[in-house]
Amino acid sequence: MKVSELMTPRVESIEPTTTLRTAARKMKELGVGALPIVENGKVLGIITDRDLACFAIAMGRDLNSEHVSRVMTKEVVSCKAGQDITEAAKLMQAKKIRRLLVLNDDNSLAGFFSVDDLVRGSHDLAGAVLEAAAPVH
Amino acid sequence: MKVKEIMKSPVETISPTENTKEAALRMHDKHIGSLPVVDNGQLVGIITDRDICVRVTATGRDAVSTSVKEVMGKSVETCMADQDVNDAAKAMIDHHIRRIVVVDSKKAIVGFLSVDDLAKTSHELASKVLEATIPIH
Repeated sequence: MKVSELMTPRVESIEPTTTLRTAARKMKELGVGALPIVENGKVLGIITDRDLACFAIAMGRDLNSEHVSRVMTKEVVSCKAGQDITEAAKLMQAKKIRRLLVLNDDNSLAGFFSVDDLVRGSHDLAGAVLEAAAPVH
Repeated sequence: MKVKEIMKSPVETISPTENTKEAALRMHDKHIGSLPVVDNGQLVGIITDRDICVRVTATGRDAVSTSVKEVMGKSVETCMADQDVNDAAKAMIDHHIRRIVVVDSKKAIVGFLSVDDLAKTSHELASKVLEATIPIH
């Protein structure tokens, strides 16, 4: 089965100059936990709801003026929409993560592929990803 | 298999009158995503990194002057340490949650059980819990 069959397509993105507050508001409105940061069609990084709590709030950042580019994770782990879900699951396991950014062949953004999507394709692969993931309780 | 054999213990907690910056800092330092809220030994709520993102970062509230009790979730599902893991998983499925607080007969917190812990015992059980939750991508 291919990643494109299970992924969550049409992901919203934000620009690197988006403020921390605007990013959090967008996550709230969209009901998502992560947003890719895109500039000129290129993915620069990713920011999560956890980053906007544990870094932005814990470290006392100025939410109205600081840009997401200061807090985002720059090493984005991605897979291709046409890849097999077994390969994508292996990548999540190896990196101890539970969500991958999905790119098209021209490296433009295709969607997100998380363990919640994976579980709809294979219980065993999803279980293995959960087992390997660094636990955040 | 019993819950106590696979749960995480001891559990980091927070009091309802502490502020949300303190909560975010504790989640950051301890690498956790949620804290049970305990008042005089009684479990009164739960606060997650996402609660802080959508109810503090997104809204413009000041984290230091916002208390944990203002943003915490007040309904907390619990299970017992010597319950069977299948029963605990069923409670998670019924309530569409992926983590549950483990209490003793006096309602004191003794552990935390997450879908990741379940995955170490049964991929099938963990997958059913994941499938029952509403994913936040």
